[in-house]
Amino acid sequence: MSDIDDSEGVLHESLEHSLENVEADIYVDSEDVVGDIEKEKITTDVVKESEIVGYRQQPGKLPFSKPGSGGKNRFSKPTDYSRIPRSQGGSLEQPWGAHRHDDLISGQVIGKSTSLVDSNWKVTGQAKYGDDIRLPGEVIGRILRSPHHYARVLSIDISKALDLPGVLGIATGDDAPGKFGVLPVTKDEHAMAVEKVRHVGDLVACVAAIDEPTAREACRLIEVEYEVLDSIHDIKQGLEDSENPIHDRGKYHIGESNVQKRVFQQFGNISEMKDSSVASHDSDWTFTGVNHGFTEPHAVVAHWDPSGRLTLYTPQQVPHYLHRALADVLDIPMHQINVYRTFVGGGFGGKSDPFPHEMCAAILARKTGRPVRINFDREEVFWVNRGRHPSKISMSLHADSEGRLCGIETDALIDGGAFASFGHVTTYYNGVLHTAPYEIGAFHYTGARVWTNKPASGAMRGHGAVNSRCAVETGIDDLAEQLGVDPIDFRLANLLPPHSATITGFRVTSIGMRECLERVKEESGWDEKFRKMPLGKGIGIGCGFFISGSGLPIHWDPNKFPHATVHLKIDMDGGVTVHTGAADIGQGSDTVVAQSVAEVLGLPLDMIRVRSRESDTSPVDLGSYSSRVTFMNANAAISAAMEIRNELLEATSEITGSNIEGLVIGDRRIFNKRDPAVGVSYLEALHKAQEDRGALVSSGSYRTPPMGRAHKGAAAGLAPAYSFSAYVAEVDVDIETGQTKVEKVWAAHDCGKALNPLAVEGQIIGSCHMGMGQVLSEEMKYGRTGHLLNPDFLDYKIPTVHEMPEVTPIIVESNDPEGPFGAKEAGEGPLLPILPAVVNAVYDAIGVRVSELPITPDRLYKAIEKRCRSEGVKEPLDLEPPRLELTALQEILQSRAINHSRRDKERRLTDSPSPYHNGALFGLDPEIPGDEQDSRWAAVVIPPDDYLEDPGLAGSAWKHTERRHRSDVE
Amino acid sequence: MKEQNTQVVDCSGKYVVQYSLPMVPGPDKVRWNATVNGVNVDFFIDSNAILLDVLRDQGGSLGTKRGCDMGTCGCCSVMINGTPKLSCLVLAQEARSSSITTVEGLSSGHYLHPIQQTFAECGGSQCGFCTPGFLVVSAALLERNPSPTKAEIKTAIEGNLCRCTGYQQIVESISKASEILVSGKGIDDSTSSKSDPHPGFSGGLS
Ligand code: FES
Ligand code: FES
Repeated sequence: MSDIDDSEGVLHESLEHSLENVEADIYVDSEDVVGDIEKEKITTDVVKESEIVGYRQQPGKLPFSKPGSGGKNRFSKPTDYSRIPRSQGGSLEQPWGAHRHDDLISGQVIGKSTSLVDSNWKVTGQAKYGDDIRLPGEVIGRILRSPHHYARVLSIDISKALDLPGVLGIATGDDAPGKFGVLPVTKDEHAMAVEKVRHVGDLVACVAAIDEPTAREACRLIEVEYEVLDSIHDIKQGLEDSENPIHDRGKYHIGESNVQKRVFQQFGNISEMKDSSVASHDSDWTFTGVNHGFTEPHAVVAHWDPSGRLTLYTPQQVPHYLHRALADVLDIPMHQINVYRTFVGGGFGGKSDPFPHEMCAAILARKTGRPVRINFDREEVFWVNRGRHPSKISMSLHADSEGRLCGIETDALIDGGAFASFGHVTTYYNGVLHTAPYEIGAFHYTGARVWTNKPASGAMRGHGAVNSRCAVETGIDDLAEQLGVDPIDFRLANLLPPHSATITGFRVTSIGMRECLERVKEESGWDEKFRKMPLGKGIGIGCGFFISGSGLPIHWDPNKFPHATVHLKIDMDGGVTVHTGAADIGQGSDTVVAQSVAEVLGLPLDMIRVRSRESDTSPVDLGSYSSRVTFMNANAAISAAMEIRNELLEATSEITGSNIEGLVIGDRRIFNKRDPAVGVSYLEALHKAQEDRGALVSSGSYRTPPMGRAHKGAAAGLAPAYSFSAYVAEVDVDIETGQTKVEKVWAAHDCGKALNPLAVEGQIIGSCHMGMGQVLSEEMKYGRTGHLLNPDFLDYKIPTVHEMPEVTPIIVESNDPEGPFGAKEAGEGPLLPILPAVVNAVYDAIGVRVSELPITPDRLYKAIEKRCRSEGVKEPLDLEPPRLELTALQEILQSRAINHSRRDKERRLTDSPSPYHNGALFGLDPEIPGDEQDSRWAAVVIPPDDYLEDPGLAGSAWKHTERRHRSDVE
Repeated sequence: MKEQNTQVVDCSGKYVVQYSLPMVPGPDKVRWNATVNGVNVDFFIDSNAILLDVLRDQGGSLGTKRGCDMGTCGCCSVMINGTPKLSCLVLAQEARSSSITTVEGLSSGHYLHPIQQTFAECGGSQCGFCTPGFLVVSAALLERNPSPTKAEIKTAIEGNLCRCTGYQQIVESISKASEILVSGKGIDDSTSSKSDPHPGFSGGLS
């Protein structure tokens, strides 16, 4: 032990020594160069004078001053050893084992709380969002929207509107008949109505005029003749055959119904597992639709320049897919379009589809020859929607006598609204994203997404996983209660280990679930509170699991192109320009990429500038969805920076004569590990490397490794890493009114490694806020005639600062082997656990299990009354809060959890652990996938006939036959 | 319903539409003056113009954001004679001759207002769209009450919506700024490499 300490001590000393050198090196005044060289000679006397000076000078001329160090304050703070891993001579603890990026950690910025690199733009009001782009000569675009839920457009007469002075152009569906959609398999949107309008607010025409009143008036003057069709609002009705299905998918259409996508998945033998169970939970959930509620309404500016190129300024999360869709709809090649991402005022998935209004702006700008700006009202934002799917989920969970989770049966019917959007993926996610973090005995999922005449649902933070996760976690709470065990201990005894495969074949690398659970348990004082608090006060737990990037890019074969690419350029000034297409939507992706580059090159953050706005200059990035940016983009940035790093090391080795292996990068200095006095400044090395070639450029990219299984749908939910989280919520329910207040939340999230803890905490707290809204107050309400009743922030109730609980964010760092410096996502996963944590806490408080969100006072009070009636209690205040009698199983679970904890630790510390497949807990060989050992574990993706005799609600979608398989349709 | 609109040319040679029902007659242009971020301005505005529109479209204060246009988000907050107001609910005429401070007017010269600094450093701003509103409201609070309690801070920002941060880091930012203001310490040296040499422009009203 003392040995190690000693050697560290030496290393520290020498590092410090080297820092002094840096100072000596940089405190140079131009008059004092000679003295300085002498100083250097003294401190670095191993190197000869001629080799020290990195600049070639004309003889007799005054020496150049050293460029680039400008300003009075030339030093960034000295290296902080607690940010450098032990393996590198620092003191950073690595309890999860070493990481392959450890030797790139220079202690500069990774892991430090860092303000966003663009924060000064934001706090001074200079950040330009969509509506802040003002081009000379701009005109205003307005959109005419459908007043009908579902109608055929018979004719559109624009003549009157065109005659209105000040109107410069009008476009209708005829101007752009091309279809688009975010997924190539389900392109079902048009820029404006072609043939039909499919929901109130669907686009019919658009107008460009000199100002907004004129544009509005012109919209009023457009005469549209509709033939109103029978609309569908009830999600169940979407399953049935219809005379006028909302879309026609040709031979792939499912029956004559409005089913857009259906999924059947079965792994393991569910009926056998059910038979062996001793506790079962069944619930039927209703989830209402939720909107993202980002503060910036959509806005777009389109401009065709004189060379015939389109520049589209838009707050987009996914500029690249928009780029593709624009090319399709406008019928021009992609290279003629420059998509410029403005600052994005919140996205959360709501700005990740290519949108029809973006097409409209481009079409109008082409028509009028002027820049066109379209800005939405808040109401229009609700019409565009793409929020979380309203859904009906039936959840059955089974546990056996050993306290194992032996079966999960899920049936999810989700309401897609009028368009497909990300729906294909959502339908899978509702099932597959709850196959972890627990080891399960059998999994059965049926899902269907139907079209209805509502604004389209789409991707929203926690895409597809949120609702069903809520159902699973509350179910587990119920199981634990039936078994007479603590729900946290129940979970701890059923976790998958690190480096394992889920029942559906997802590859789980790092997993910090256990630590998350242990931390929240301890910090919340769980043992003193759970089932022990008085009536009206409760505490509850919920967990989550989310993808960190999706394994498959939407638009291409992952084996052909990378998911993310980053370019770097360093010129004479020494500043690094990072070109990336990753869309910063406020989550801080620009900051993360800058941090990664700064870390690898040992530079302070202000020497890195990120250019991520324009498709003209940025390499393609898939965009900000599925929590992929930090993982993929930072990995790409690291590999680009490593290239430059190698060049710098080579140059240093040429100057100093030390060999490359012996060199390390510190704060703006490259030096010999053994003898830090031997080294050069960053600029010296850079200028040496630039000799004869000028600016250094490099490119790095990231692609996911091959993984997963081969059954249909195996790719949905496949990710290079997964994040885990566990929350404990404490609530106070006013039992006489049904009003729920969340008082405190302890939120532990395993993000692998917090590259910027400030931002990670911000994401955790922000997720709590958004999830709290869904569980307590937010709901898109549709009236009896199908109209959206609350398309504004007055009636759509987002929690204010007064409703926010005190959140204690707890960061768990499981050091993912493939993540950049060990990092995984932190943007979406943290939202999942808050819903079930609150629902479970409400149960703990008043003994009522809700199965409909949001838990508004009226809903909850009804449930309280129901409980009163069923127990024959007159006054709600006389109800008994639930209490827990532990059974013998509790101890069995606890000792299993202790064993598993040991197992997990061993597995994460070995470099290449043996495989572990879900099923080992049930007696299968962990090293062989379940289906290879026992044919009953094989994936089934087409429902067997006996299932169809009595299908679940969503499962009944399989009663239809796809048109291409039907004999009555050719 | 059929409408008969007539088009006439007004004295300036501009086409004007005279609407029959149900359009109300177009607004008159009226002269309007105010001090915006310390600069005296004098415009012709529509008599029914909303202050937010005047500030954004004519005043050059694009930092003042429009999130809802109906008083529900607080993004459009500005100070009118030191009191925070939702500019989307204020007729520009009501604010005539007043002194208006927008987010662009918070920094003084090269110095960021402490509240701007702490919002950046404590995570008070994620996407940043709500930030101008929060900054204005909390700057007004700190002016009145340099060391507010947590509850006072919450009350001050209750009309502002933030979808990203969950407010917690916003409240922290405001407390931190109050510490700086009270102690007078912690305001960055403008020459240090961290400070932004161009922290704000005065509304583009020169
Ligand atoms: S824009 Fe004024 S409050 Fe929303
Ligand atoms: S920072 Fe995005 S809304 Fe507040």
